[in-house]
Amino acid sequence: MQNAKDSFYVALRARLIAVNPERTILLRGAIRPGILVEEAEAPFAQLPSDVFILRWLGLGADTSLASIMAAAECEIVYQICGTQSFGGLDRGRALSAMDEELLAILQPFYTPKLNIAAQPPAKFLTNVFWDEPVFSPIVAQRDRLTRTAKILIYTYQEQGE
Amino acid sequence: MPANWFSAPAPVTRRLRAYFAPVNRAAQTPVLFDPSQQGAFSLDAPPTPWIDLGWTQNFTRISAGKSAPLLTGIPAAPLEQVRTTLEAQVSFNFLSWTKLTMALATGSQHMNLLAPATGATASAGGAAATPAATIQSGSTASILNLASADAARFTTGSLVAVDTDYTGQTGFLGSPVAGAYLRQPLTDVDYVRRITFNVALVAQASLSSLTLAQPLPGGAPASGAKIQALTGFVDREGGTFYQEWSALFVAQGSQGERIFFHYPRLQSVTGAEEALSPLDSRHKGGHERVLLKAQFLALPVTDPLDGERVLCYRSFLPATHALI
Repeated sequence: MQNAKDSFYVALRARLIAVNPERTILLRGAIRPGILVEEAEAPFAQLPSDVFILRWLGLGADTSLASIMAAAECEIVYQICGTQSFGGLDRGRALSAMDEELLAILQPFYTPKLNIAAQPPAKFLTNVFWDEPVFSPIVAQRDRLTRTAKILIYTYQEQGE
Repeated sequence: MPANWFSAPAPVTRRLRAYFAPVNRAAQTPVLFDPSQQGAFSLDAPPTPWIDLGWTQNFTRISAGKSAPLLTGIPAAPLEQVRTTLEAQVSFNFLSWTKLTMALATGSQHMNLLAPATGATASAGGAAATPAATIQSGSTASILNLASADAARFTTGSLVAVDTDYTGQTGFLGSPVAGAYLRQPLTDVDYVRRITFNVALVAQASLSSLTLAQPLPGGAPASGAKIQALTGFVDREGGTFYQEWSALFVAQGSQGERIFFHYPRLQSVTGAEEALSPLDSRHKGGHERVLLKAQFLALPVTDPLDGERVLCYRSFLPATHALI
């Protein structure tokens, strides 16, 4: 499943660069696209704003098929406070913009499966694919608005994985 | 050595896309789809003359053909099987209302409501229309040249029908899409434009031409073609005309594999029906989407390969590197 998780993240990151190259984050001294995997970073005292944070949750498998199918649930968290120049009054608009960006980078609902541990990344034979996201209601804490979207990601186990 | 194949389970798809092409009714010639040559087409750009009708919902195929055993001996026992009837039906819901989806989802003739002439007598199928304007030479399927006085009658956002005058002909009317069948001549000069599928939205109107938002399904206007504004569409429960189209349905799997269902001849089999789909299933009495229900009867063609009569071709293009 790790290759599928990596492929999903890499696909969304590449699509985000195309959709909104200005959404970035300064992380560990480097400016990166504004999307990260929570379990692959040092623990956060508070989740960063204005970026998409991928959090991996449940896992399931169907072993009765010709190739084992695994499914992992991904929760994408994003939060926003609005901009200083508008005193945070634009936070609703900013969150809507992130909603639209997330919908855009999730399409198409598949991507080739990669082994990014190899250099250069090696392409597997199958695709990783997923369903439409299920968006949660907005959670407001003072001027901070947070939303999560849950998505099921599917992959077929290949030889050599 | 890395594996260069995988065992593919049953295809996983999200939805099914529909494409239709007009059957030449007079010559009884359907449009055939060759998956070996055309199977890799972009779903957004189907090969000519297939028209993309978008995604469908509740697609159902029913094979109603029957076989019976040929009995022999005492006591009788099956010697072999024979096919006694050949029948198949297809049904689904269209997710949009357009000229074509509405026409396909009605059991009979489908007509354009031409913009009425001032003071015209009311008519359920459309009143006497404003006079048509002649299309000038050099027009294409997307740009219609008009005399400046005629161009001034249309604005951006106008809906238009483009076709020739009716001159008393009988039989199947409309080209390349037959929209009606007349047993006896009529006197309505606009009749062909009432039943034509050459309709479009005007995206931009200038002093001497109209740019259409989508090309006319019939291509560049024929010599002598005229244009009329339309306000909408109408169909009737009853009548004797049956729509007949060639159909292609495509299901794309998660691994790039494709399943095609190709019906060379489909005729609509029921009257116009709608299906209501609530936008929020938890909210009874709330907004509901009105979907066009389409149901078709498949008619046979003779396969030139071996002379067999068939109703449908189901093709499968496996995913790359999948074991077969």
